[in-house]
Amino acid sequence: MSTTQSDSTDGLEEPDDDKLFRDRVRENPRPAMAWLAGLAFLLLLEIGRVFAGVGQAFGIVGFTVELLASVPTSVGDNVAGTLGSAAGFVATAVTAVLMAFAVTVPVAGSVPDGAVDVLGLDLSRRGRRWAKRAELTFVLVAAAGLVAYTPVGGAFSALIGAITGGVDALAASLPSITSRDLIPNTGHRLPEGGWEGTFLGLSPATAWAIRTGLVFAYATTALVWLWRGFDVYRTHYRLADWTPRDDTVRRFRNNYWGLFGFAIVFLFVVMALWAPAVSPVEAQHNIYEPNSHEFQYLSEDGEVTSTTHVFANLQSRSDGQNTIGPMSYDDYDRWAPLGTTNRGQDMMTHLSYGARTSLVIGLTAIGLGALIAVVLSLLSSYYKGVTDIVTVMASDTIQAVPALLLIMLVSVVFQEANHPIAQPLDGGLLLALIFAFAYWPGMWRSIRGPSLQVSEQEWVDAAKSYGQTPLQTMRKHMAPYIAGYILIYGSLLIGAVIISTAALTFLGLGINPPTPEWGRLIDGGQSYVATDSWHVATIPGIAIVLVVIAFNALGDAIRDAIDPEADVDESEAAATGGGA
Amino acid sequence: MSRHTAPTTPGDEGRPAPDTMVKVRDLKTYYEGGGLLDDRPVKAVDGVSFDIRRGETLGLVGESGCGKTTLGRTLIRLEEATDGEVLFDGTDITSLRGDQLYEWRRNAQMVFQDPDSSLNDRMTIGEIVREPLDVHDWKTPADRRERVKSLLDEVGLSPEHYYRYPHQFSGGQRQRIGIARTLALNPEFIVLDEPVSALDVSVQAEIINLLEDLQEEFDLTYLFIAHDLSVVRHICDRVAVMYLGNIMEIGPTEELFTDPANPYTHALLSAIPKPDPTASRDRITLHGTPPNPRYPPTGCPFSTRCPVRIRPDEHENLDDEVWEGINGLREIIRERMRADRSIRERVRERFGLETRFATIDETYDELFGDLAVPDEVDRVLSEITDAAGDHEEREALDRLNAEFGSVCDGVDPDGGDEPVEPEYYEVSDSGRLSYCHRHDERYRETATVIDDRS
Repeated sequence: MSTTQSDSTDGLEEPDDDKLFRDRVRENPRPAMAWLAGLAFLLLLEIGRVFAGVGQAFGIVGFTVELLASVPTSVGDNVAGTLGSAAGFVATAVTAVLMAFAVTVPVAGSVPDGAVDVLGLDLSRRGRRWAKRAELTFVLVAAAGLVAYTPVGGAFSALIGAITGGVDALAASLPSITSRDLIPNTGHRLPEGGWEGTFLGLSPATAWAIRTGLVFAYATTALVWLWRGFDVYRTHYRLADWTPRDDTVRRFRNNYWGLFGFAIVFLFVVMALWAPAVSPVEAQHNIYEPNSHEFQYLSEDGEVTSTTHVFANLQSRSDGQNTIGPMSYDDYDRWAPLGTTNRGQDMMTHLSYGARTSLVIGLTAIGLGALIAVVLSLLSSYYKGVTDIVTVMASDTIQAVPALLLIMLVSVVFQEANHPIAQPLDGGLLLALIFAFAYWPGMWRSIRGPSLQVSEQEWVDAAKSYGQTPLQTMRKHMAPYIAGYILIYGSLLIGAVIISTAALTFLGLGINPPTPEWGRLIDGGQSYVATDSWHVATIPGIAIVLVVIAFNALGDAIRDAIDPEADVDESEAAATGGGA
Repeated sequence: MSRHTAPTTPGDEGRPAPDTMVKVRDLKTYYEGGGLLDDRPVKAVDGVSFDIRRGETLGLVGESGCGKTTLGRTLIRLEEATDGEVLFDGTDITSLRGDQLYEWRRNAQMVFQDPDSSLNDRMTIGEIVREPLDVHDWKTPADRRERVKSLLDEVGLSPEHYYRYPHQFSGGQRQRIGIARTLALNPEFIVLDEPVSALDVSVQAEIINLLEDLQEEFDLTYLFIAHDLSVVRHICDRVAVMYLGNIMEIGPTEELFTDPANPYTHALLSAIPKPDPTASRDRITLHGTPPNPRYPPTGCPFSTRCPVRIRPDEHENLDDEVWEGINGLREIIRERMRADRSIRERVRERFGLETRFATIDETYDELFGDLAVPDEVDRVLSEITDAAGDHEEREALDRLNAEFGSVCDGVDPDGGDEPVEPEYYEVSDSGRLSYCHRHDERYRETATVIDDRS
């Protein structure tokens, strides 16, 4: 986590030193080349999964774009319903233009001046800025109009379809070392002993252990390689011999509680990312569509027979009377490393896909909430006055409603209305959005103090005195100071989001089946805790506790690492600076 | 402030016109209360006029809170002026907007007081010094890098420091970095806001010398804000003395230091410790604290603490301590007038319970208890305290002013109703101006009164 953070701040601070960096690499290409080769090799090993990831990213982007694209028309339809179709059309157009404009504001700065000079107008600096935004807006709206109202749209979606189809096909056909095809672990016993269909004829348990071990080995290697990349950059290409980040990294490395948190979070993330590889059976077969997938097993009368997962699941439930415990096979030759759930599904599969659900919800909610919080805190501390008061009122209004009640109310309303955003993850996305809405005031409150403090620093005045634009001042001179705080609060709150999601699902309100979710596992297993099937609720319960503790530990460690005053031993930094 | 008997530009008659760069006329900077309701503003700068000549160093001294930093910040448009104008080579910069302001900002820069707070710790030295150039799109990025390196050299750092972070530097070096950033855009006018007051004494001299060298090399014009008078005496060509948002005296440094005209300047200079233990001149101790700039006194801003306040003739011989008491009483009544009494307090008072306002009688005892107050004065004072005790503060104040007030409190000696303010009097051939009634022929000069009263 620490490496990604420093990478992102790097990007923030040195936007126009790129050329220099490139020059430096050109002068001394060996270390960079070696590192890049290693990275390429690592990617190549998992190329199939990389493409699958790209395909999924396409899907997410596509969904978001579609959702946003539907906003102008839905606004227009609502207006048309009351004021007539002409007004509806105007409303659609206005909404579209406004949305396009909002998109251009942060991007317009990077458009070269030449784009405006084409217009041949004699513009002032401010005029030029607005002209750029207007130009971009025009381009965006024109493109959107073309796609929406002309045959170009059809061609466009065909193109998109072809690209996504291509990516999906690549994902399916390219190999990866952790794939199920390479190391299969589903098979059946043979009447004469031994296994059919598994990796090298090993038992499914061994095959699964090999694959899972490979996943974690791969992920650890990748992490180490990224760290090495930072090291290579630091020793060969960075011009500064010391930066404050070095101290941050050093402090983090010496914080064992934080490292423990990091390790658990790493396990959790790896489990979520490689869910298809670490689950002993395919989720599609075992959880989503158990009806339509058959598999073979060796029946009691010594014959290899075929059955569907739905039937096998029914016979493999862990519900007190019947228990498939951890580290055992069920009667259908299916390996269940963590036992089965109360509905007979595989626990490990459920847990890893549940991790995916939790991670997606947590990251979406915290990412979105933190974004809102940071933007508002920057605006309100830079402009103060009315902006500040309006933000205070908005956040107080949201905070005045009990969070859990608000979340329940909104989620029920959307789910009953069958709104499109309630579809993905069976309500997971909806939940994430609601969490973002309910949690940004808290995050905003906690970074309000620091951002007011940094806005009073003289370097902000100095920036104003030589004419720096407000947006740049906020980005360069204020945001980096808030980033640390938001990182801490974000990582602490992610635990809260995960636990709230589980709690809501436990109550039957959050995420609907079949999407796997840890809270539902606990709900299903709670009545069997005292029986042989104790594992159904206990394992996901322990997992939640661990993950939440780990995120808290990580957040604490980040705070300690970022804060220079947490450092008892300052002599090192002082010695480095002494020569200056 | 409305009348100027002496011309504010000391070159208007006869003398060869000095090359004026900045002309400040009746500048006011008020801070609004921040509340939603109509509050009284804080009058940080309350109508000042002066000129800054090209190439000179004008010192601006005064106690903390007197508005000198606000004045400096207003001159480079970090604060919005409430009223008045700042003419920079003939352009009124208080009304500049958008691109004109952006272009003008090249010309006027500021060196900040606290080197710890003026440099962004997350950026390298190079990025910090280069930012003004980036903002103004100065030449090419490679040229900018070169310029930054030469600037670093200029201020006594080495070009290798480009990729270091501010953490790694000492206070003096950080201030040098701040100066390099200030110079980046080649400004003509620089506001130095207490540039050395946060530094070690050993480093102060280096920075002062650097500033002097740079001024010579780049033909800079400085406004040097400071409260350290010896530094000001060393570096400044002219000095303006500020008190409560007003300029009390402005003139050539040496003259002002050796022969101060304004009572406030007298008091300020007497606070400089003298190495000579047998020095004859007594220290003038100023009583109390400067008034709240939200409620400045009527008349002369310094009237509440002035050691040579003009007294009405009939009470001229009253004991100094009694006068102190009277001034104290005036302040307390003014204070009571401002304080809003809550309903709870009104009720408590009605039932004779204690309120957070001490009764005026206690105050009276405290001020005059062990003094020998002449009978007729005592009688007037009792009337005043009685009125104040009944919460008729306005009446009490009127009575007080009628009896003990003078032109310093804004009482018009010619019997007019409008409060009068002092005027700027030209007190020497060099065009030194002082803001005090004592320079009027009707009253005795400051120095003699100080000797009399001490």
